[in-house]
Amino acid sequence: MEAIDAAIELSNVSRRFGSREAVSQLTLSVPQGAVVGFLGPNGAGKTTTVRLLVGMLNPSSGGILVLGLDPVRQGERVRARVGVVLDQVGLYDRLTAYQNLQFHARVNRIPASEADRRIERLLGRVGLWERRGDHVSGFSRGMRQQLGLARALLPEPELLILDEPTAGLDPENIVHVRELLRDLADEGGRTIFLCTHLLDEAERICSEIAIIQGGRLRAHGAPHELEGTQKPTVRLNLRGLRTASDLAGLPEGMVLTSLGGDEWQATVLNPDDVESLVASLVEAGVGVRAVTPVEESLEDVYMRVVGGGRHE
Amino acid sequence: MWWGVGVMSDLQTMLWKEVRELLAVRRSLILFLVAVLAFGILPAVALHGHHAGQGRVLGPIINWFRLGYGLFAALFLGLQTAPDLVLHERTGRSLDYLLATRLPDWAIYGGKVLTSALFAYIAGWMALFMQLVVSALLDGRGWQWLYLGQADTRTVALLVMAGLALYVSVLGTFVAFRVGDQRTAYMVSLVGVVVLIVPLVLNVIPVHFTASWMTHAALVFGLFAVAVAVAGLLLFRRQMLVLYLQE
Repeated sequence: MEAIDAAIELSNVSRRFGSREAVSQLTLSVPQGAVVGFLGPNGAGKTTTVRLLVGMLNPSSGGILVLGLDPVRQGERVRARVGVVLDQVGLYDRLTAYQNLQFHARVNRIPASEADRRIERLLGRVGLWERRGDHVSGFSRGMRQQLGLARALLPEPELLILDEPTAGLDPENIVHVRELLRDLADEGGRTIFLCTHLLDEAERICSEIAIIQGGRLRAHGAPHELEGTQKPTVRLNLRGLRTASDLAGLPEGMVLTSLGGDEWQATVLNPDDVESLVASLVEAGVGVRAVTPVEESLEDVYMRVVGGGRHE
Repeated sequence: MWWGVGVMSDLQTMLWKEVRELLAVRRSLILFLVAVLAFGILPAVALHGHHAGQGRVLGPIINWFRLGYGLFAALFLGLQTAPDLVLHERTGRSLDYLLATRLPDWAIYGGKVLTSALFAYIAGWMALFMQLVVSALLDGRGWQWLYLGQADTRTVALLVMAGLALYVSVLGTFVAFRVGDQRTAYMVSLVGVVVLIVPLVLNVIPVHFTASWMTHAALVFGLFAVAVAVAGLLLFRRQMLVLYLQE
């Protein structure tokens, strides 16, 4: 097998559906072994990108390489080496949990004895071994998601693509899936492409973040790189203000938030203005209790990049 | 050789899943039972007292009548099963998963068509068997295997039923992949069958109940069913389904 640098290589990829362009001129390179968080609001083009990566859709233009293979011409070989959990897990309700994994093992031509060994290990890992003989129709959404993850891991794929693996789960199940994702990321050696709306999770486990909106890549880099793209803001804790209009005569450049009573928090938009603003506040008789520099979080970056749009 | 092993492996995998899913659903088993009982008991009761061997004129007609019911059983099961095998995957979203696996297009399509065709074919045969059992019980004249000893009726029982099961399964599967609605898939498939009968009813193709004509017709129909199956295979594209799901 020839050595390849990038697990995923998208070059000016566009995909149109009629007049609508779901993915537009997308260029993205994901190195081998990276854990990439692919973020974006609903309809940003994440699921279309996933389908392009596994050869379920052909691009209208541009080139795609997954593990050095072209999904358009070598779709079967790509899908044999990639584990996928789609936004809808798509389990077979009429089969048991064990049979669902057995089918996937057969699809991937895993010898029966080896398949049995892996299925036992994976069902144990996601806590479903005791329920292996139950039909999936009786499973909760969280259990289905866990089983979907186990299924994707069964062929021990080099690349794992997860499309919103925590969507629609209750907090307890989100924690379970989150722990599993963390373990997978910590194990290393496998490239993970994670479409998610959990920004804090992406920040914690992903080595790279890509933000897509309107089918276009808006930002890409390591979390700390993205967070450092904007100057840090400064927060001031103030006391002695009755209303925001008390500051009417002072310079602009602050956003005020009431903390109750006469206490307020002011976010200084331009950190260079802090000194002059504090001097003006003190002169006006406002007590400045604390001056705190605030680094931009991934959430701030995300909100800035997608233009304050709603989170998924 | 390796290609052949791979082909069989993928097809077997799909058949493994489809058969398990089919047998896990009570509705499928009830439909199977209804087809076998209805098309097995009704003709036997209707023909109570008349036997194929009794008269030169009546005998062949009774044979065709019996066989016709067997064909109906296969038709009924095929029309129900083929769309269901696809549509439950669409509603459960497992079709997305299936399309994201390494299984080739032809294995996905072939697994569904063959499972449905086999189920329909077995139902047809079971209905014929049921007819014989009921006839024997009602008339007490022993097993009525006589018509299977004749070349024309045997040809119809073996070949035409197989062709019909395959044809209906191809139509039902393909239409269900496209339309995504059980009733529509059923109706379109039914129209596809009616279209076949029209030239016979209008006497554009005159029917002769002779062994040579029947054998010839069965072969032509069998080839036609296979051609339709191959056409469906060539037209089937996983991307076509993804686009539909995406809408």
